[in-house]
This record gives sequence, C-alpha cells and structure tokens, in this order.
Amino acid sequence: MSLVTSLIMRQMRIPIIILIMGYSISILGMVIAPGIDDQGNPWQMSFFDAFYFVSYTATTIGFGEIPHTFSNAQRVWALVTVYLTVVAWFYSLGKIISLVQDPMFREALKENQFKQQLARIPDTFILICGFGETGHALAKALTEQNIHTVVIDENNNTIQTLPLEDFSLVIPAYKGDARDPEQLIRAGLQDKKCAAIIAVTASDETNLKIAVTSKLLHPNICVVCRSELEEYESNMFSFGTDFVINPFDTFANIFAMAMHSPALHLLYDWLTGVPNTDLTNPIYVKKGHWIICGYGRFGSDLYKQLLKSNVQVTIIDPSTDKRDAFLSLPENKGNDFIIGTGFDARTLTVAGASEAVGLISGTNNDSNNLSIIMTARELNPDLFIVARHNKKSNEKLFAASHANLIMQPSEIIARKIRTLLVSPLMIAFLNKARNQDPSWANVTISRIMGALGESLPSISTLNVNEKEARALCQVLHLGRVIRVGNLLQDPRQKEIQIAAVPLMLKRKQKLLLMPTNDIAIKSGDQILFCGTPSSLRSMHWSQNDLHSLNYIMTYEDTPDAFVWRKIYQFFKRKERRHRPRKKNHLIK
Amino acid sequence: MNREKVVFSFFMIMALTLNFGFFIGEVDNPNHHNAYELFAVIVVNLIATVLKFGDRSQMGAMLLATSLVALVQLFSASIVWAYVVNIQGHEITPDTMAIIISLSGGAMIANFISVILLIIETSMMRH
Repeated sequence: MSLVTSLIMRQMRIPIIILIMGYSISILGMVIAPGIDDQGNPWQMSFFDAFYFVSYTATTIGFGEIPHTFSNAQRVWALVTVYLTVVAWFYSLGKIISLVQDPMFREALKENQFKQQLARIPDTFILICGFGETGHALAKALTEQNIHTVVIDENNNTIQTLPLEDFSLVIPAYKGDARDPEQLIRAGLQDKKCAAIIAVTASDETNLKIAVTSKLLHPNICVVCRSELEEYESNMFSFGTDFVINPFDTFANIFAMAMHSPALHLLYDWLTGVPNTDLTNPIYVKKGHWIICGYGRFGSDLYKQLLKSNVQVTIIDPSTDKRDAFLSLPENKGNDFIIGTGFDARTLTVAGASEAVGLISGTNNDSNNLSIIMTARELNPDLFIVARHNKKSNEKLFAASHANLIMQPSEIIARKIRTLLVSPLMIAFLNKARNQDPSWANVTISRIMGALGESLPSISTLNVNEKEARALCQVLHLGRVIRVGNLLQDPRQKEIQIAAVPLMLKRKQKLLLMPTNDIAIKSGDQILFCGTPSSLRSMHWSQNDLHSLNYIMTYEDTPDAFVWRKIYQFFKRKERRHRPRKKNHLIK
Repeated sequence: MNREKVVFSFFMIMALTLNFGFFIGEVDNPNHHNAYELFAVIVVNLIATVLKFGDRSQMGAMLLATSLVALVQLFSASIVWAYVVNIQGHEITPDTMAIIISLSGGAMIANFISVILLIIETSMMRH
C-alpha cells in the first residue's frame, strides 16, 4: 500500500465508523418500531425495507413513507434517523474535504506523483540540480534530444510552474534541498536509471556538496558541475568529478578561438548551437588596442587570452587592490590600469577608446555593462564589443545593444553540458580541429553549408554495434565492404546524397577528421555526423533496416518475405543455369 | 494499556462471538437463527474491518484480508435472505436457511482466523 492510500485510510477510519454506527442504529430502530399496514394489521419493517428507507433518507433524497404510511412510533424514529445519518454524512464529508486540503496530504500526493513519473521513464535519465536559467536551458535542450531529465530545486515556484511550460517530455520535478543527501536520493540519485547528475545551482558550495554526495552514493554516474571559483573547481576535481565547467574559463577559450581563427569559432558555434536555428555569421576580432572594463574573474580571464596574442590592453576598474595585484603580474608588458568605472566618457577617452579596436565590458552589473557599451559606441562606433550578460531578464537589452560577442554564463554552461552529454565525440572533434590550420576550418564550413543549407545542423553519433546499427553489423559480419559514402546515400533513391556530413571517425583510440567517402567502416567504429534532422533519420533507417541497406549496397530491391525470397532465388538459379557458359579454358 | 488495541480486540472478538451465536443451532431450522443477530454480526464486522484500514504492517494486511473475507460471506448470506423474503416474497424455507447458515459458517472461520492472528500478535509482543 502506498503512503497516500494508507494515509487516507487511516484518516477515514473514524468517519466511516460513525457512518456505520449511524446507519445501523437507524436501521435497527426502524425494524423494531411498530407499524400498521394498509389493512390495519400490525406490521414491522424488514431489514431490507429499513435499509432502503435509511439509505434514501440519509442521502437527503427522501422518497417518502414506503411501503406503508408510517405509524407515529415509526415517525419518531424517522426523525432520529434524519438527524443522526445526515449529521454523520456531513461530518464524514467535512473530514474528507479537510483531508484533501491538508498540506501533509498534498505533500504526500505530490511525492507519489513524482515517484510514478520517475517509474514511467523508460530508459535512463539525467538529474538536474537547480532549475535556474542554466537548468532550464539544459532541460529544454536535453528533452528535445529525447533524453529524459529529472529536476530538483528548492524553490517552490519553479517546481510548480514547471508543468505549465512546454517541454517535449514530461520532466518530473522534486521540491527539495539538493544539499541534503536524503532528498537527493528521493529525487532519484540512487535510481538504476540515473545516468548522470548535473549540479548547476547558483552557489558553488551547493554544487560541491552535490558532487561529493553523488560520488559517494552512486559512484558510477557521470557528475557534471558548474563552478565559478577556482578553489571549488580544484576541490571538485580532487574526488573525481567528471566535468567541472567554469563559464568564465569556457568563454575565455571561445574568445581566444574567435581571435585566433574566426572560421573555427564559427564552426564551434554551428556545431554546438541549438539545432534548427538560423546559421550565425562569422565574427572577426581585430588586433590592436583593447580596453577591459571590470577586472574581475571575467576580465582577468580574457586579459590572459589577450596577452597571448600580443596586443596592447588598458584596464579600467574602481578597485585599487586589483590594480596592485595587476601591477605585480610579471607578464604584463606596460599595459595600463586606470582606476575608474568605465561608464563615463572621460575615463574611456583617457583609456583611448577612440583609437581602440575592441572593448570588453565585464562588470558583474548589467546596467553598468550596458552603460559602458553605449558610451563607448558614441566615442567610437567601430569598436568590437564583448559584453558580459549576467541576468537572463536583460536578454532583450543586450540584443539591442548590438554587442559583437555576448557572454551569458547560463547559456555558455548549458551549451557545453549539452555537447558533453548529447555528443561526447564533438568535444574531441573540436579539440582536434583547434590544431588544424585556419584554411581547414574554412573548407569545412563551406562543405557543411553546401550540404545543409541555411539552418544549424543536428549532431548524431553512429556507433557501429549490434544495438544501434543492426543491419550494418549483420552485413559487416558477412564480410561485405561498406564505405562512409554508402551511408550518405538516400535509402529511398540511391543516386541522391542526403544532407549530412561525416565530421570524424573514431576507431579504437585513433581519430580521423572529416573521413572521406571511400573509407571502409569496421565494426566498433564511431562516426560523428552533422546534418538536417530528416537526413539523420533516413541515415538511421539505412543503418538498421537490412532491406534499405541492401538496396544501397547492391542497387537491387531484394524481396524480404520468405515466400518471395524463395521464388526470387529460384529465378536467379534458373537464370544462372541458362546463362551461356564462358569457355575461359578454351580461349587460353 | 493501549486503548486503541482494546477497542480493536473488542470488535474482533465481538464479531466472532456474534457470528457463532447466529451460526449455532440446526442448520435448516429458521427458528434457531435470528435476523437481528445477523444484522449485528454484519455491523460489528464492518466496524472491525474499518478499524484495520491504513495499517501498513504484514499482520495488519492479513487481518484486513480475513475481515474482508468474512464480510463478503456475510453480505452474500444477507442478500440471499433479502432475495427470498422481499423479491420472491415467501417465508424463509429450510433449504434457503441452510444456504444462509453455511455462508455465515464460512464467515465464522474467517473471524476465527482473525482472532487467532490477534492472539499470535499479542503473544509475540514482549513487555
């Protein structure tokens, strides 16, 4: 028996007993009370008549005096019956209603509902701790990829509004404190279906606690953490957290990529972006004088990246402590540090905004950042502006500010985690791509654009194994050769190429970028594809359906059913028999 | 002393004793079996069943099951009685009485098992 039913039953004991008592006393009295029938003979109600009378009286239906007109004695008892049973009903109904409104009962009901939703998840799920901006973006992206997610958050409002939102899968939401191991377990941490846990609450300390708890209680699952402070980051890595994602660090890397090679940055943007949105344009970061407003975690990370590309940098920050720390750095080559806020034109002019090529507005206050951007734009309309966007609610303002590169922590984390969980090979691909020369990225971009057209590609990983590519494996076992190019043929019309591009092939530990069409596939390979959703679906078809694969490979429509196969073989054999024999030996 | 346990045991044993009182006598003799007694058995059994609601222990589940069995038997007996008297419209005959009594006999066995379970539970408790 579940907790909820047991709770109801226990609470309903007294009201039901009162009802039974009321009914039985009334029935007994009606049976005993002396009456007179139509002919004037003494008559007593049977239990059946009495039960009938009490039933319609107690429920206030009131059919009247049945079967014969009542005697006075019966009427006296009918009065008792009315007050006794009607009051008993009101009492019971009141009890039921108050039970339904009881907060404890509602809590139990909600927990029950959560458990049922959890049990209904068919395969694996990912537990997201913290349903803020990052959690929200992640849940949306993962559910769109058909990956089930479960959410735990301590804010009652977020949990209550979650079912109202339009997610493509049901997301079971648990209201609880993720720092409490007991509540994490109740949210499904130790469930066999739990494949990964993502700690993306706003506080690093909470994320750390979640990571420790998960590693101790369910060591096999993948733990992904958000962290903004370095000391927490190293702490998380110390006990084996699988991935720690620092938004500032990640953005600094992206920024470096954009500076180093715009094409590579564009490739990154396309392949990790949300599928089916419009393709973005490349960003060209100019080299020259840069101004950084705000020398916090964000500003200092970007400063390090700028140093690597040998440009002159001026920093504006109101804190003198930070200036002392900055000046003590050995590697800055005469770069300036101006004490100031940056949103007044004077400081910016002193910093050289009119000649600078780029400006980074990286304070932790959105209004200040926007003010800096607008002032700087007035001084120098050609500035390349990098904006730090802190609060999701200011999204429209930042879009209107026309900053060239916007850093939104929750978006960056969501993008990174999505890539990690949905297509792990993509990380390896991007790492390898970084070591190629810039022209390689240009070629790749034009190839993707040529094949896919206008919208961002979907990513899919083909694992050549029995489970995910059944037909392909069967055919490989027979010793036939299938090349990468074969998979790109449309299973409906083999001459047409589908809109997909193979990005990387992984064979054992070897990685091969952009595999050419003539490479033969082996069992155990992993191939990373990007393409339109429909083309990836038809590719899935040719990997799993023997019929389609045969069609692609042999260019012949082979019959599938037993009888047709036999007839087909029969004709084949006949054809072979009647074919004139080549007399090779005679020619020799 | 636990008052809840007293009330509970009272109704369980009462169900058994009343059931026995109705059951005893010649099986097909309507004069030996009183309709009021059957009514009392049903009411007491109903209360005993409701008292077992919401108990999550194994013993509680067993007790609930035996009570439900007794109730089903008693309801069938009373339905047979009501059918013969009120729908067919004649006096109770010896063969219908025999049906009613054998049904209540089954209910008595169920009530008996309930009481035995109750005794086992009590004796297992150590003070």
